[in-house]
Amino acid sequence: MAFGTKRISDLEYLGLSPFQRFLYRLTCFLVSLPGALARGVENGAKTVARFLKIVWRELADLVMTFVNGDAYTRLSYLIMGAGNAARGQYLRAACFFLAQAAFNVYLFLFGWPYLSKLGTLGTVETTKVGRKTVYGDNSFFILLYSLLTIFLIVLFVYLWHSNIRQSRKSYEMKKAGKHLATAKEDLASLLDGQFHKTLLALPMAGITAFTFLPIVFMILVAFTNFDKTHQPPGKLFTWVGLDNFREMFTTSTSRYASTFSEVLTWTLIWAFFATFLNYFLGMIVAIMINKKGIRFKKMWRTILVMTIAIPQFVSLLYVSKMFASDGLINSYLLKWGWIKTPLPFWTKASWARITIICINVWIGIPYAMLICTGILMNIPADLYESARIDGANAFQAYVKITLPYMLFVTGPYLLTSFIGNINNFNVIYLLTQGSPKGMELESPAGYTDLLITWLYKMTVDNTEYRLAAVIGIAVFVLTAVTSLIVYNSIPSVRNEEDFQ
Amino acid sequence: MKKFLSMLLAVAMLLTVCAFSVAETTGFDGEIKVWVADAAVEFTKAQIDAFKAANAEYANMTVTVEPMGEGDAATAMITDVESGADIYGFAQDQLSRLVAAGALEEVAPDNVPLVTAENDAGSVAAATLGDVMYAYPLTSDNGYFLYYDKSVVTDPNTLETIIADCEKAGKGFYMEINSGWYQTAFFFGAGCTLTYDVNNEGSLVACHCDYASENGVKALKAMISVAKSPAFSNASSASNATNIGAIVDGAWDAKTVQEKLGDNYAATKLPTVAGYQMGGFGGFKLLGVKPQTDDAKLAACDALAYYLASGDVQAARYDALQWGPSNLEAQKLDAIQTNAALSALAAQLSHCVGQGQYPNDYWSLATALADSVIAGEYDNYTDEQLLEVLQTFQDTAISYAAN
Amino acid sequence: MTQTNRSSRAPGSEMSLSKHERNTNTAIYIVLSVISAIWLLPFIFLVLQSFRSYLTENGGMVNYLIPKKFSLDNYQFLFSSECNFFTWYLNTLEIAAICAVLQTMIVLSVSYALSRMRFRGRRLIMNLILVLGMFPGFLTMICLYFLLRTLGLTQEGAIPGLILVYVASSGMGYYISKGFFDTIPKSLDESARIDGATRFQVFLSIIMPLSKPIVIYTALMAFMAPWADYVYASYVAFGKPDSFNVAVGLFRWMVTKDYQGYFTRFCAGGVLVSVPITALFLVLQRYYVEGVTGGAVKG
Repeated sequence: MAFGTKRISDLEYLGLSPFQRFLYRLTCFLVSLPGALARGVENGAKTVARFLKIVWRELADLVMTFVNGDAYTRLSYLIMGAGNAARGQYLRAACFFLAQAAFNVYLFLFGWPYLSKLGTLGTVETTKVGRKTVYGDNSFFILLYSLLTIFLIVLFVYLWHSNIRQSRKSYEMKKAGKHLATAKEDLASLLDGQFHKTLLALPMAGITAFTFLPIVFMILVAFTNFDKTHQPPGKLFTWVGLDNFREMFTTSTSRYASTFSEVLTWTLIWAFFATFLNYFLGMIVAIMINKKGIRFKKMWRTILVMTIAIPQFVSLLYVSKMFASDGLINSYLLKWGWIKTPLPFWTKASWARITIICINVWIGIPYAMLICTGILMNIPADLYESARIDGANAFQAYVKITLPYMLFVTGPYLLTSFIGNINNFNVIYLLTQGSPKGMELESPAGYTDLLITWLYKMTVDNTEYRLAAVIGIAVFVLTAVTSLIVYNSIPSVRNEEDFQ
Repeated sequence: MKKFLSMLLAVAMLLTVCAFSVAETTGFDGEIKVWVADAAVEFTKAQIDAFKAANAEYANMTVTVEPMGEGDAATAMITDVESGADIYGFAQDQLSRLVAAGALEEVAPDNVPLVTAENDAGSVAAATLGDVMYAYPLTSDNGYFLYYDKSVVTDPNTLETIIADCEKAGKGFYMEINSGWYQTAFFFGAGCTLTYDVNNEGSLVACHCDYASENGVKALKAMISVAKSPAFSNASSASNATNIGAIVDGAWDAKTVQEKLGDNYAATKLPTVAGYQMGGFGGFKLLGVKPQTDDAKLAACDALAYYLASGDVQAARYDALQWGPSNLEAQKLDAIQTNAALSALAAQLSHCVGQGQYPNDYWSLATALADSVIAGEYDNYTDEQLLEVLQTFQDTAISYAAN
Repeated sequence: MTQTNRSSRAPGSEMSLSKHERNTNTAIYIVLSVISAIWLLPFIFLVLQSFRSYLTENGGMVNYLIPKKFSLDNYQFLFSSECNFFTWYLNTLEIAAICAVLQTMIVLSVSYALSRMRFRGRRLIMNLILVLGMFPGFLTMICLYFLLRTLGLTQEGAIPGLILVYVASSGMGYYISKGFFDTIPKSLDESARIDGATRFQVFLSIIMPLSKPIVIYTALMAFMAPWADYVYASYVAFGKPDSFNVAVGLFRWMVTKDYQGYFTRFCAGGVLVSVPITALFLVLQRYYVEGVTGGAVKG
């Protein structure tokens, strides 16, 4: 390649043919990959360093506050809220004190017995006394409640720390003769200056308990032997280090590695087609409907949009039966004499994959069409006007104006929808459940399985939680790397303040 | 009428059950949760009422019956043993999985000799791992055979003519060969074996498999030729089949097939293929009790499970649901002897082996093999290449017993 | 919307359409008709199947389209006492209605706070949600199940349990409405604050009235999702048919051996689920379009 990998000036770029331009951009993208990755790692490292620095500063601060503070401030190291109480902020003091009391009760009555067993995940085996069963330790609950306790400890430390900070601050303010917020003012600020706390408290508690905690739990499961032969409450499971990752990714010892790469490849192919095919076809449909002089715009749109409203377990299940070897489609094709033997829509791996992608077009076009419609409206009409004066035909106008504009504006949408398709459970599960299977694949994977459906089948059918957790982590890595690369290489990462 | 019958049965049962429950010193008045197949919920409720009426010490216990598909029961039990049912019905192939997950209690020692004596040997073996009996046999009808349309199939004795007839009439031949269950009809019929040894705790310890042999190749070639036919559909569910000429299916679908074929309905044992009689599995449904932390409740569960699996209830269950009994006395009833589907099943069972324990991975592997056959991957393979495929199959099947 | 303006201009310019232009339009009409047919046919088939009698033509799969005899058997069955369909339907309606209210409140709270207010930990929260969103949802199924069981919200309590799960994690989907709030000029807030309004008053009396499209969009999405949830709902409610939602109940007819010939009944159930949702959706289509379009552009 003549231009190699060096950046070229705008003038040189304009001089290139469309194909060369494409090559140039592709090269730039590939060249920027390692850089984008490195930047991501660098940012991560910087964040960690900054975090450590903050921790260090806060620790030093704690010591200094203890040395310099008054007796009440020192007392609040032990009894939370003491400082606030001494300065007359009884509401805050009561909240702190109650939080501390509740935390202590929780920790000693409930949390500690679990937390103390976290290292082994339980040692007492289930036994039989006569015919009756006496259950021993439950590794699952030990892990789950230990985590819950750790989360609460972190929350408690945060509260404890802010109790000390407040104690010091109120001491200093009182000494300086400034006004301290009364209980009434505190409450009022929850609807004003501190409104974000009111708004975010419940949602964040929900996310922490029902998303964050379970995800950390499952990440930890990837380092245990929790599977069908170590199933609580009858059996214990325990830590096994990196064994599961070794089993999944070592090619020599198991078929998991080859199955993983097969499933991963198909997941990426699928996500690519499901995203871009739908996007371009949806755009074409949108352009057709929006074309000047086409009537019944609303009707066309409504017909397409109906697929969004009908639950997929109804429509997809029905469609999957339509394509069966003795389903409607084959039956009618045979009846009309167009084919002699039924078409193997679901039985041949390659057919099944193509059929799935086609049916997904049926599902995906309406979404893409709606999004494109909105944006197409916003393309300045005079752009097209001047293109026409310059003698460009419709196709050229599309390639030179519409496409670049659309790609630029919908970049983030394409990324989200690519990631959504990596995790598109419904389409695969309702259409094929991953079949057909193959002798080369480790059970229970099939040729149309995505990582997510494979993970689901491992969880529900095979109770291989440990390996499912490894796949889950792999999906995370895949998603994170994709997002990182895209975010670092598309130009339109906007500053969120721009709009306001 | 049905109610009257079951009341009559209950009275008749009184003696048997009383004789048994005399041994129990304490009663139980807590709650027992029962899961049975959706179709059997009403029947089971009536039987439990009869049981409570007949046993004063259990008269006050609360029994809830909920529908749970026999295929799903094991998965649900394994997900959460503690919230699962105390007594539940399941298909026997789930036995080792349930035992390994700690979801099955051993059958009460007092009941073992009774159950062994009253039920057919196959069902007893199916409920036993190593030398421990883990469940009560419920039915002995989990096998498959051939339903066909008399107006289409001229000779149901050889598969080749059946398929030719179906092709000629534009009808379908249905058999779910990508299920490890139906697939054994080819391999076992050709003389192959595939069994796993399981220890008392439900772990697989050894695998005996000789698919990689001349017989195995013969069976695989038969499968390939069947799958090549345009009439072939890989399905064995009568209600989903749109164009039945012949279908390999089980007794549970008898009513549906009858509806679809009308006067042309017929059932018989499986045909021969490539000159050998097709074989397969004879399977069983079982009733299990989960481990209990309370002796009184365990005793109550055992008593109730034994009752629900007893000969008379099995006979009543046949009347209500057409489930073929595993109880030797019940099997002798006239109605069962003359049922077309069940006599076809009985004829087929003499060519079958009792289904033992198989790991989940086996079913997956069998599906993989047949999916490749159906996709036509082996259509042009030589015998050596087919042998190689079967060697891979056999090695993989054996590897499941290694851990 | 702008599209109506454009199409209203069309008839006038049609007079001067060239022949080439007219050919193109004809081609487009043909393509659009074919596409519409492909999109509509499965639903027409579905409706046709639902009128095939269970009694006279067997409820299973058949290889023809038009029933030999139209009947309402399947619909009658769904509402008869033999069948739990009505319970399932009410369960789902209950879940959907409560979720629509609670989820909207939560999503609006989170997106308003993250869009309009600047405070310590804001970036942290946004990054946390971003990272959590990259894990596949089904990974945590077993863990969620046992969390709910600890609270007594499985099997018998599955309905409140499901509501809790849906609502608890709904704050993660704040992106679209945050994008919407971002476009409302900040000067509006500021002038109100100068006049002495609190943040809460600004939120309630200035931002909310402007946010009708996004409120409706969020509520609509929250209302529609529970109708289609099979995986979580069946995992939480197993063994308790009274706690099933419509998807679990109907789906079981298709996968459990005991329900031979329930295909037409499944279709009838599917129609009954689809009709109200589709109607609602079509009525509120405009807001949906504004929601997805806005969300796509602002990410």
